[in-house]
Amino acid sequence: MGNETLPKQFIFNEKMDKEALYSLYTDDFAYIEEIFATTLQHFDGDFSNVQLAYENANIEDLRKAVHKIKPTFGYAGLLETQSFCKNFEDKCAAAGSIAELSDAYTHIKNVLLEAKDIIENEYNRLKAFNANPL
Amino acid sequence: MSLNCIIVEDLQVAADYLNRCCEKSGQLSVKGHFAGVSDALAFLNNNVVDLIFLDVEMPGATGFDLLDQIAYSPKVILTTSKPEYAFDAFEYNVTDFLKKPFTYQRFLDALKKLPPAAAEVSENTITETGVDHIFIKSDGKLIRLNNEDILYIESMGDYVKFVTGEKKYITHNTIKNLEEKVSKQSFIKVHRSYIINIDKISNIRENGLFISGKEIPISKAHKQEVLKRLNII
Repeated sequence: MGNETLPKQFIFNEKMDKEALYSLYTDDFAYIEEIFATTLQHFDGDFSNVQLAYENANIEDLRKAVHKIKPTFGYAGLLETQSFCKNFEDKCAAAGSIAELSDAYTHIKNVLLEAKDIIENEYNRLKAFNANPL
Repeated sequence: MSLNCIIVEDLQVAADYLNRCCEKSGQLSVKGHFAGVSDALAFLNNNVVDLIFLDVEMPGATGFDLLDQIAYSPKVILTTSKPEYAFDAFEYNVTDFLKKPFTYQRFLDALKKLPPAAAEVSENTITETGVDHIFIKSDGKLIRLNNEDILYIESMGDYVKFVTGEKKYITHNTIKNLEEKVSKQSFIKVHRSYIINIDKISNIRENGLFISGKEIPISKAHKQEVLKRLNII
């Protein structure tokens, strides 16, 4: 009885920091859906820049490309991903050759792709939720 | 009062979020979003804003490069995900430093740091006129401009741009107001948006004149007066 007037809540993927999301968007789920949509629209382009810089063995461009994509994950509540990006940036700054970054690059590439999957999945769930909030 | 601002940010989601914060605040009117420094500079060369939300690392050039190149000093709030830029931010005297992503409350706190009259450079931007010079207020300083150094004065809405051979100065004023204040011996209004230094004209065509390579239109209403003032033989 008492729960009838409470708004329906969306349960985010456990890898997304719910408090971070609420601090940015409160419970405006339509807005969060919009943010996820924008993120996904631009993800592939930004990710390609990361790959291209690595393939060209250009460490500074690689650092810049990861730096650019990094805040994306903050806006999506993926704080751990954001933190991985920061660590990778630091490794780029310290690296003397692209070979030194080989393992770290493989790791960050997987982290970024996993983050995209999470955002994509949450976007689709959120879209369905927002279409039928009651 | 609403301040005019622009967003210079290469990450779309960050620009959208910031734009939304601006709208929500009711204190800011966003005049444009630019993903790089060159586009922002092109806009700022022809438009005056009170505030720039500026990312630091962008393709091609940094936000600090932009600050080095603009002809006046709007207020700046840096938006970056790299706190290491805080020292540079201090050097450039920026109003605040927002680390992305920031909350709406943090955004409002940054706005509170703006001086109350951020948009009001000064109502009285010409403080003194002499026979051979004027003083203008620009970037919080009084600057003496000798008439002989001024090429032309161009309207930018509520602002005007004084163009000399060396620099451009932007002040809060209007061409209409300046028409009364500048030396009539040296200057003449040739168009609703231009007052020119008559000694700087290099050549005149049907509907325009050239000063230091810049073509300036002459309106029909002012053409006769301009021709009268020239030493035509």
